[in-house]
Amino acid sequence: MRAEDLISTRPTAEEITESLRQLPTPRPDAVDALRQRFAATHEKPSAASWPPFLEGARIKRDARYADAPSSHRPVVGPALVMAKRAFRLAFQPFINEALRRQVEFNEAILDALALIHEHQRVHARTQTLWRQEVEKRLEQLDAQMPPKTPEAEPPTKPSGEDTGAEPARGKSRRRGR
Amino acid sequence: MANVSLWNSKRGTASPSVGRVHQLVARLAWGDAVGNQVRYLRDLLRGWGFASEIYADQWDESCRDQVRPAHDYPREADADSALLIHHSFESRLVPIVARSKGRKALLYHNVTPARFFEGSDRHVARGCTVAREELRALRDHVTHAWAYSHFSAEELTAAGYRDASVLPFAVDWNAFNVPADPALRAQMEDGCANILFVGRTVPSKRLEDVLRVFTAYQRLYQPRSRLLVAGTLSNSAPYDASVLALREQLGPERVVFLGRVDSAQLSACFASATAYLSMSRHEGFGVPLLEAMYRGVPVVAYGAAAVPETMGGAGVTTLTDDPVEVAGLLAVLERDAALRARVVDAQRERLAPLDQETVARRVREALTPFLEGRAPAREKRGPDGPTVVCPGFETAPDAPMSRLARAVVDRLPGARLWTVRRQVMPLQLAPKEARSDGAAVWHFTPDEPASREGQDVPPSSSLETAVCCATGPVLFAGADEEVARRTVTRLHSRTVAGGVWETRRAPDEGVRLALGARLWELSPGADVDALATDVAQALEAGGRTHAR
Repeated sequence: MRAEDLISTRPTAEEITESLRQLPTPRPDAVDALRQRFAATHEKPSAASWPPFLEGARIKRDARYADAPSSHRPVVGPALVMAKRAFRLAFQPFINEALRRQVEFNEAILDALALIHEHQRVHARTQTLWRQEVEKRLEQLDAQMPPKTPEAEPPTKPSGEDTGAEPARGKSRRRGR
Repeated sequence: MANVSLWNSKRGTASPSVGRVHQLVARLAWGDAVGNQVRYLRDLLRGWGFASEIYADQWDESCRDQVRPAHDYPREADADSALLIHHSFESRLVPIVARSKGRKALLYHNVTPARFFEGSDRHVARGCTVAREELRALRDHVTHAWAYSHFSAEELTAAGYRDASVLPFAVDWNAFNVPADPALRAQMEDGCANILFVGRTVPSKRLEDVLRVFTAYQRLYQPRSRLLVAGTLSNSAPYDASVLALREQLGPERVVFLGRVDSAQLSACFASATAYLSMSRHEGFGVPLLEAMYRGVPVVAYGAAAVPETMGGAGVTTLTDDPVEVAGLLAVLERDAALRARVVDAQRERLAPLDQETVARRVREALTPFLEGRAPAREKRGPDGPTVVCPGFETAPDAPMSRLARAVVDRLPGARLWTVRRQVMPLQLAPKEARSDGAAVWHFTPDEPASREGQDVPPSSSLETAVCCATGPVLFAGADEEVARRTVTRLHSRTVAGGVWETRRAPDEGVRLALGARLWELSPGADVDALATDVAQALEAGGRTHAR
């Protein structure tokens, strides 16, 4: 850490950085592993947009405003549509009040669905990272194990019984899938 | 006499002195900084002989006896009443303020920028945006305005409040002298180094960074360590869920989310803490930092918003958020006893000017002109000249965009250049005009320190507020900057706005739509002077149209 990255009057920033230099230096591989871990868990700030599967419901959540459905009838149809539009225009404040609770409910249920979706997304991400971590540790253990010699093989059990020998780490079931 | 007409107009009826000084707050909560401050001021005002009540729109059940409904205030107020309005979030109280008689003043606690909540809590994000609009709307109804930090006062000035100043933040130190919960303390004092964080779990507090720093500390320096987080955390909010998931992903041991704690439990946390860690990106003041100092716990805090000012040079303020480096600071405070003792001593000295009597005296001095009905002199504000908003001007004055911004200012009479300060300082000062080779340059404080390697200029709430309040032509240089994205749709309806963008950094669709034809591209190798002339002419023409 540089002194210019600190604000401190007593002790001064220089004194703190000097004390930092006295600390035992962490192992570089441990620091690298940590930084990789931080980078892997660093999520970019999500945009304000909703999950795609909720977009359709989100567009329709406000039930107060809707255009009158069109009509295929040649003369009566347009007149009816116009009448419906005029009705909506005239009574919109009452429509708003009548549907206010419905809109609030729609928004609340959308929020709840978005939260469940977020939980699932975060859970899946955690599981992925955890699996990657476990596999990495298994590989490290494999690398640390001494190569097996024929003399080191455990004595075989009587025929008809399972040998009980663990499968070699290098051919783990997980990676064999 | 000129002041009297102003005083009697929109700002309420004049009265040379008042016997009633009330307070208005959106929500009176138990235990939060705003609620504590409101109660403190009420007691102080009553002690000075004023009748004083708290009016609120909402309140905690435990505060029911302390509060009156806000909608009663216009009926109960008269010309002799005075009202202190606390503003920290969306309140919907502006209409009540507008129709209330008597004099009014604003106490600004700061509003968390909406960007922290976008993508995680759109209701709160919207509330933050509305709160800033209310801040501008309140300006026409108050005679005085105070903030609790210079950082916040800067935003008041940017919003057009004249003579905005700082009111000392009162902390009830006696409230911290609660004996520690013995059971919790015994549990925590088991030989582990305890790192403490106290606060709400909201995105602006960056609990995820606290977790990262602690993980680095535990893995690299002190395996026998524990992280204590005192503050409500539930699994029902997206941000809280992401914090809990991150704990699983990082895998540190002994991370304890204590939830809401009482005073005795909080005392136990501080009593057993090795260090207090804050990585918050936004604080209007930062009471827990002072509480840690009072309890003799060394503080390591990220220097965003008003944090450097609250720390006042004491503790350790870091301008980098690199978890490994911040973890080193925690380690050095744990291992170097002499250094730790000096930090704790400096923290105690920091608190000396904040004792109750001194603060009460300074609060009275600050409020006296308002209480006595002395209105500040107000000059009539003329229309703004053209404004060129170039956040990166101070960071990279020789960059093509900065040169263009400067060239446009030189071509427009009365124009000013707004930029963001490169450095975070222990004491932020309200933006003031400075002359740079004849051009008027205003420097606004960034909300957080600039990253070491990043070219992006950090956002500035004050700059965004100032842009929203600008009445003259505005040029965004560049149009891809966050300030353009956030303010272009919130400008005055008659403001003429334009933007310049560099080829490698195109503005987003919203900015393109809002600026329309007044958007120019600054391509590599382009003639900056020729483009500046075109831009200046277009802005000048737009400004004239506006003036007619």
